[in-house]
Amino acid sequence: MSAAGTAGIEALNFYGGSAYIDVRELCEHRGLDMPRFENLLMREKTVALPYEDPVSFAVNAARPLVDRLSAAERDRIEMVVTCTESGIDFGKSLSTYVHKLLGLKPNCRLFEIKQACYSGTAGLQMAINFILSGTSPGAKALVIASDISRFALADANAIQEWAYSEPSSGAGAVAALVSDTPWIWRVDAGAYGNHAFEVMDTCRPGPDNEAGDADLSLMAYLDCCEQAYRDYARRVADVDFRGSFDYLCFHTPFGGMVKGAHRQLMRKILRATPAETEEDFARRMAPGLSFGQRVGNTAGASVLLALAGTLATGDFSQPRRIGMFSYGSGCCSEFFSGVADAEGQRRLRELAWGEALDRRYRLSMAEYETLLRGNDVIRFGTKDAQFDHRIVPDAWAAFAADKRLVLDRVAAYHREYRWAE
Amino acid sequence: MDRNAVLAVLIEQIRIVEPALAEQEIKAEDSMAAIGLDSMSRQEVLILGMEALGLNLPMVQLFGPRNLGELADLLHAKLQG
Repeated sequence: MSAAGTAGIEALNFYGGSAYIDVRELCEHRGLDMPRFENLLMREKTVALPYEDPVSFAVNAARPLVDRLSAAERDRIEMVVTCTESGIDFGKSLSTYVHKLLGLKPNCRLFEIKQACYSGTAGLQMAINFILSGTSPGAKALVIASDISRFALADANAIQEWAYSEPSSGAGAVAALVSDTPWIWRVDAGAYGNHAFEVMDTCRPGPDNEAGDADLSLMAYLDCCEQAYRDYARRVADVDFRGSFDYLCFHTPFGGMVKGAHRQLMRKILRATPAETEEDFARRMAPGLSFGQRVGNTAGASVLLALAGTLATGDFSQPRRIGMFSYGSGCCSEFFSGVADAEGQRRLRELAWGEALDRRYRLSMAEYETLLRGNDVIRFGTKDAQFDHRIVPDAWAAFAADKRLVLDRVAAYHREYRWAE
Repeated sequence: MDRNAVLAVLIEQIRIVEPALAEQEIKAEDSMAAIGLDSMSRQEVLILGMEALGLNLPMVQLFGPRNLGELADLLHAKLQG
């Protein structure tokens, strides 16, 4: 299906961790208001163990894709872009580790992108435009969005402040192989809209902490969602929010947020009734929540995770156009679109993401609280460290079963990894 | 429209978004969070409130007020241009 002017996602994989907690159990444990919990539309959240980091997440997402390529195909990967707000070094990018651990060839561009949760889309667009430019015909680019929320290093009094951000924040990485043979999702080249402005809604001002205002962040998200769509509609002829997109995939801080943004667009753009809006959400957006509900907010990866959820569970008996909205605090946003079909669904389902999530280890609240004390988590800038892979003894089997990458030690700031067995 | 009329419009939207508050007294000193509206419901009140007042402003311009009285003051000032 290679053709000039064609680009998109050739293969897509997700790593949703090896351990999780039940979000209802956490809310009950924290004494949070249960009706509000229901509005989060969350079920489970992935918890990164102390011997996991954004590199191990990224590699665990990308490796199954790279393993499926022939040697010749693998050697066409000419760019690796890591997209994250969970960086481990101010200079050296995650992509350098990823490149080595995947055994990619040396003549390759390596770099990292940061713009909060918008990073995955920024990386995807850079890769797509590299392919569309035709400067290296037949080349492939590997884009990996990898983010981990860490509550373990906050001070002991922070639990009240976390409130609903604790149950909604997750961990995960999505790897997208971008090329001119987009089996999974073909971009509508040139069809996009942006909206950006400076705002201090949420941020990571220090190496191991987060700050922000939930209300301001929701406001900025809602403003961006409407205005990025309007910019898209300004660029693309004859767009109809109801008829042009069979499915919609939005960056998902939590499911309730997406529902609110959709409700606002339906009312402002289409003057839709509440009943129409409810039906439309269930049909066009709910499929996109299916994986996110099981891992929590994956930041830079979440819009691609919504795409995967839609592709895994939606009706692709005919090619479907998917509208995508990405937002990153601070802030920058983009509305863009692409087309997927039954072949993409078949290829995605082969990777059996749901089953991989089922194999994660369910942490008890006692185990989770032990991890939260943070004794085994290394701080940003740690020079030397050794990791105890038995800190939650029963969780190790989930790593070993799929031979996943884990952190082994840090020596003179250099991170060393190994495959679990 | 004076400031108290703006406040009345806001309280009307709160009762639409959260029908459980239909009978409860809601005062200028109350914050939406304190009377039980979650973050998405608070945004919904702002969106419906602007619609009812004929305003079309970026949501972020409504950030800051600590209670309904301050929010009514802000919206009233926006109405005056």
